Amino acid sequence: MTKKRPTVYEELQEKGYSRREFITFCGLMGAWLGLEASGVTQIVKALETKPRLPVIWLHLQECTCCSESFIRSSHPIVGDIVLDKISLDYTETLMAAAGHQAEKSLHDTMKNHKGEYILMVEGSIPTKEDGIYCCIGGKSAYEVLKEAATGAKAIVAWGNCASSGCVQAAEPNPTGATPIHKLVHGKPLINVQGCPPIAEVMAGVVVHILTFGRIPALDSLNRPKAFYSRRVHDTCYRRPNYDAGLFVQTFDDENAKRGYCLYKMGCKGPNTYNSCGVIRWNNGVSFPIQSGHPCIGCSEENFWDNGPFYEHLKSFPGFGIESTADKVGLGLGVATGAAITAHAVATNIRKRKLINKGLKEIEKEKENAKE
Amino acid sequence: MANRIVIDPITRIEGHLRVEAEIKDGKIVDAWSSGTMVRGLEIILKNRDPRDAWAFVERVCGVCTTVHALASVRSVENALGIVIPPNADLIRNLMFCAQYMQDHVVHFYHLHALDWVDVVSCLKADPKATAEIAQSISNWPKSSIGYFSDIQNRVKSFVESGQLGIFANGYWGHKAYKLPPEVNLLGVAHYLEALVWQKEIVKVHTIFGGKNPHPNYLVGGVPCSINIDENNALNAERLAFVGKLLRDAKTFVEQVYIPDLVAIAGFYKSDWAAIGGGLPNYLAYGDLPTNGFNDVSGFKFPRGTVLGRNLNELHEVDGTDANQVQEFIKHSWYRYSDGDEKGHHPWEGETELNYTGPKPPYEHLNMENKYSWLKTPRWKGNPMEVGPLARLLVGYAAGNEEIRDVVHYGLKALDAPVEALFSTLGRTAARGLETKLIAGWSLEFFDQLLQNIKNGDTSTFNGEKWNPKSWPAEAKGVGLSEAPRGALAHWIKIKNEKIENYQLVVPSTWNASPRDPENQRSAYESSLIGTPIADPENPLEILRTIHSFDPCIACAVH
Amino acid sequence: MEQNILKLDPKLKLVYVWQQPVRIYHWTNALAILVLCLTGYLIGAPLAIQSGAEASYSYWFGIVRFIHFVAGYVFFFNFIFRIYWGFVGNEYSRWNNYIPLKKKQWKGILEVLKIDIFQLKLGPYETVGHNALASTTYFITFIAFVFQCLTGFGMYAAMSPSWFPKLFAWFVPLVGGDLAARHIHHLLMWVFILFAMIHIYLVFYHDFIERNGVTSSMIGGWKFIEVHDDEKGEVKDER
Ligand code: HEM
Ligand code: HEM
Ligand code: NFV
Ligand code: SF4
Ligand code: SF4
Ligand code: F3S
Ligand SMILES: [Mg+2]
Repeated sequence: MTKKRPTVYEELQEKGYSRREFITFCGLMGAWLGLEASGVTQIVKALETKPRLPVIWLHLQECTCCSESFIRSSHPIVGDIVLDKISLDYTETLMAAAGHQAEKSLHDTMKNHKGEYILMVEGSIPTKEDGIYCCIGGKSAYEVLKEAATGAKAIVAWGNCASSGCVQAAEPNPTGATPIHKLVHGKPLINVQGCPPIAEVMAGVVVHILTFGRIPALDSLNRPKAFYSRRVHDTCYRRPNYDAGLFVQTFDDENAKRGYCLYKMGCKGPNTYNSCGVIRWNNGVSFPIQSGHPCIGCSEENFWDNGPFYEHLKSFPGFGIESTADKVGLGLGVATGAAITAHAVATNIRKRKLINKGLKEIEKEKENAKE
Repeated sequence: MANRIVIDPITRIEGHLRVEAEIKDGKIVDAWSSGTMVRGLEIILKNRDPRDAWAFVERVCGVCTTVHALASVRSVENALGIVIPPNADLIRNLMFCAQYMQDHVVHFYHLHALDWVDVVSCLKADPKATAEIAQSISNWPKSSIGYFSDIQNRVKSFVESGQLGIFANGYWGHKAYKLPPEVNLLGVAHYLEALVWQKEIVKVHTIFGGKNPHPNYLVGGVPCSINIDENNALNAERLAFVGKLLRDAKTFVEQVYIPDLVAIAGFYKSDWAAIGGGLPNYLAYGDLPTNGFNDVSGFKFPRGTVLGRNLNELHEVDGTDANQVQEFIKHSWYRYSDGDEKGHHPWEGETELNYTGPKPPYEHLNMENKYSWLKTPRWKGNPMEVGPLARLLVGYAAGNEEIRDVVHYGLKALDAPVEALFSTLGRTAARGLETKLIAGWSLEFFDQLLQNIKNGDTSTFNGEKWNPKSWPAEAKGVGLSEAPRGALAHWIKIKNEKIENYQLVVPSTWNASPRDPENQRSAYESSLIGTPIADPENPLEILRTIHSFDPCIACAVH
Repeated sequence: MEQNILKLDPKLKLVYVWQQPVRIYHWTNALAILVLCLTGYLIGAPLAIQSGAEASYSYWFGIVRFIHFVAGYVFFFNFIFRIYWGFVGNEYSRWNNYIPLKKKQWKGILEVLKIDIFQLKLGPYETVGHNALASTTYFITFIAFVFQCLTGFGMYAAMSPSWFPKLFAWFVPLVGGDLAARHIHHLLMWVFILFAMIHIYLVFYHDFIERNGVTSSMIGGWKFIEVHDDEKGEVKDER
């Protein structure tokens, strides 16, 4: 069973794709990655000559939408190609084997491809109470992760869960949900943010690793620069409305029907780094703003606790849902005004007292002088 | 001798499910189903803005994405007395239909098919014979000899590469596989075909909700505006896009999914139409309103329960009745303030994590005690099965013509008696049959939407109660819905503009839950009893029945 | 010379407290903050204009933001200048006046609180430069200035092509991302508004109660200081 592994190109050929289609595919991959023509040549070469990369995909504390997003990848040859470019040896969602047989697949890859496989992780790790909030095959998720990380060449943390803990880490984080980068150290790690990440971004990251044999350039939060270096706001097609001060006031009002900017509906696009405005979703069909809903900042750390979603800024803790910074500020301003007035009145009283005292002293002095 | 086997992880499902089963004389005599991951969303939702809740609960699950968002906005609208515009209902219905089609097709091909289709066996197939079979059961154009031999070559080189990927260590060659190699090849071809197709239908969500998975919802309507004279809103191009997607989906369902289902089921009906029936009680909340959510009589899927498999009687369901839906925690890792025996109606629901199981790593859970993160829902004390089969049976009992027709169509196509429905195979068939209905309904909703717009109604949002200042100090509501896996409801209590309590009772919670205080088994556990196991080392049969429910454990626990 | 006026009241002496650069700094700062608050508030809560106009006909929000960023630069460099002056200026503008490290300063703060704020004791409290409480408040304000610049330029790094704001980009992840930075930035606006209200009031108040010309001192630089019996009315000129 250990024949030479075929390259992606060989596999594509067998599937009846022509070389032209293959080059087009590489070109599109290159386009997402923002590569020059020479870069595209590199992709072509890499896919032609490299055998399939073993991948272990762990499911921890998650909702599986990252997997679901991944299988939506479109350009230009779809999901089945993504399946064939890598050797997806373990993923609970799609693998045929279950129970002991599934665990065997996992261990086979960990053993036979030690130091070679990529570990992809979907979901966070519950760290409270010895990790009993997520167990797989009787082991805690943390143990499973540690074991799988040991022999991994690099780690890809899919989505907000694995990168930041996502919804289960929102206040009060009942299970102690923790992102991967806080628990695994000393391995190259990529945070592919989003809830979920865009399918083509996920595919783009895989292609990058495959092509260049190394992980993409990352920003200070370990996100691939290729997809997370711009704010949604910077690539939002409604931006001219923002600059012109044309805003939607309530959903489905005249301004909404004209597609004005959603800033006043709480749009988090100005604070959110993602490719939604460029790549868009599901093969470029739309993205939240294009379909009339403000960005909720789903690729940012802590975005769940930065709500309410329909307010421009985070609500002020302890003051109720509608208490924005401005309401609190205004309240304090009024209070300060009142305090100043009170103080001014008190001061006047005091000054009068001082004057009276002074007058009395003068009178006393006068009397003393008479005596 | 009884023999305890454990399957953990159960794969090709969503989430972390563990099944332990006791086998005696080649048959299952007892079974336990346990959900082993929890996130605590009901705790996290407290004190948040009710208008934001949909986004939190949508993340309960990325597989049935959108259904929790729908139940959530309905619960808030119910609490605040918001009636949404007809177009908003239609758009929500269209998203609902798209979700069902995608979810059911992916379930059939990618999560369930490998229980029936032996991938490796397809290497022995004669592509010519496969093409003939394919052409005899469907008009689907991709059924030439060349097409199937390409697929076969692809599988061959895949197997020869030595890197079997997701197909490694499957139960290939198990004697419970019964399809001839030619039909296996058909199944494998459509496995790949469906993977390509499923990413198309979700674009309905992308158009209306901006993305998929996890499209956007809105309390009071839908976020997308309609303006046929504007390129930033739903206009002719966007609507035509939706129309095309829906028509293509209908074609796929009718020409690929249903014929494959009928063909494969034909080979297994002799035994699997009598295995895995489980509970005799079925519950459906009903869904797909045609005259607003408050008019249940206008629902495409009727509401009600069937008890004891008696299809001549339908019982009424009321989500607000404190004695109907209740959740128990006798065998669940939670603590109630009034002890472990009594049930709570979800408005009075409590979620306090209380793990009492063994410290990992463990070999077995203690089934006498608590053994799952799922709570145990009951309807008037009865364990109920929910899901596609329940929907069809409830619709059947309600005398709904369309549903009766599709059930009869299915039974006729399989040449099977009504009793065949109460089985593993019946459950899998029901899922396909309702998809057929849904594919047709989606075009009805679409035409209605076009008609409304033509008549000048473009409203998609009711903002009267958008501002929390307009809300009463206290309010409570329930959002009933039908998710692909069955009856789904969210209960909300709002106090001083914030969520005071939020409880989800999810389809997979009904089906996969542990026993109740009276030791009654829920659907998974009871459906496994009596299942023959040919080889305890390779318990393929357990997967078949469990997969027939399409488990989603992230949903079930939340 | 002005000294002559003073001779009218033998009990007062005139001190040159605020050098011209400090005065220019002060009014530039006050103006910049006014502009930044106005434009900043608009950025946070823009007026919504119901209009059928094409976006390309209008750019008012862009202009508001532009003014904010320009004022932001002015504010920043003006502040940097003040820090410099804290090392080279006269004794009243020295940096060590502002940081309450000495016991004497803490005692002073307590005194001011007792006399001025809670009015527990009668009689005026006097200092030559800032009083101890005022200096401490200014110190806190300076810290707030630093954070306002870090968050402001930190956010600006994402929208400006210039290299300068990029120097601040590291700060944003430290506070938990752009939204958190924005939140802090917005809250600090209210800190400045509250500061300005109290500050302006107290300046007038001190003038009223101490008759020391503190208000105009920020214009002319001179302050009247009461002389005790053993002192002669004199002028202290530190220009
Ligand atoms: C006293 C000083 C300042 C005040 C009171 C102030 C106030 C504000 C306020 C209230 C906002 C709106 C925040 C929101 O709700 O979105 C804002 C935004 C902003 N400020 Fe300032 N600011 C000050 C100084 C600065 C400085 C020094 C800079 C540096 C360039 C700066 C850069 C920005 C930026 C980049 C934004 C975001 C603009 C956008 O979203 O396009 N600010 N400021
Ligand atoms: C009518 C308006 C104002 C008047 C009359 C005024 C007057 C003064 C005076 C007299 C001082 C010296 C105080 C002392 O000796 O304790 C001072 C200092 C100061 N003022 Fe104002 N001020 C005004 C507005 C503002 C505003 C709007 C700000 C900014 C928010 C501001 C910020 C400061 C600061 C930071 C200092 C300390 C100056 C230093 O030592 O560098 N002032 N102001
Ligand atoms: N069970 C469940 Fe769901 C569904 N269908 C939700 O309501 O899958 Ni994730
Ligand atoms: S990041 Fe979001 S989408 Fe992905 S698994 Fe987590 S909750 Fe689901
Ligand atoms: S809609 Fe959001 S992202 Fe787009 S321009 Fe407006 S604020 Fe920016
Ligand atoms: S909500 Fe998420 S999908 Fe994009 S537009 Fe905002 S980052
Ligand atoms: Mg619940």
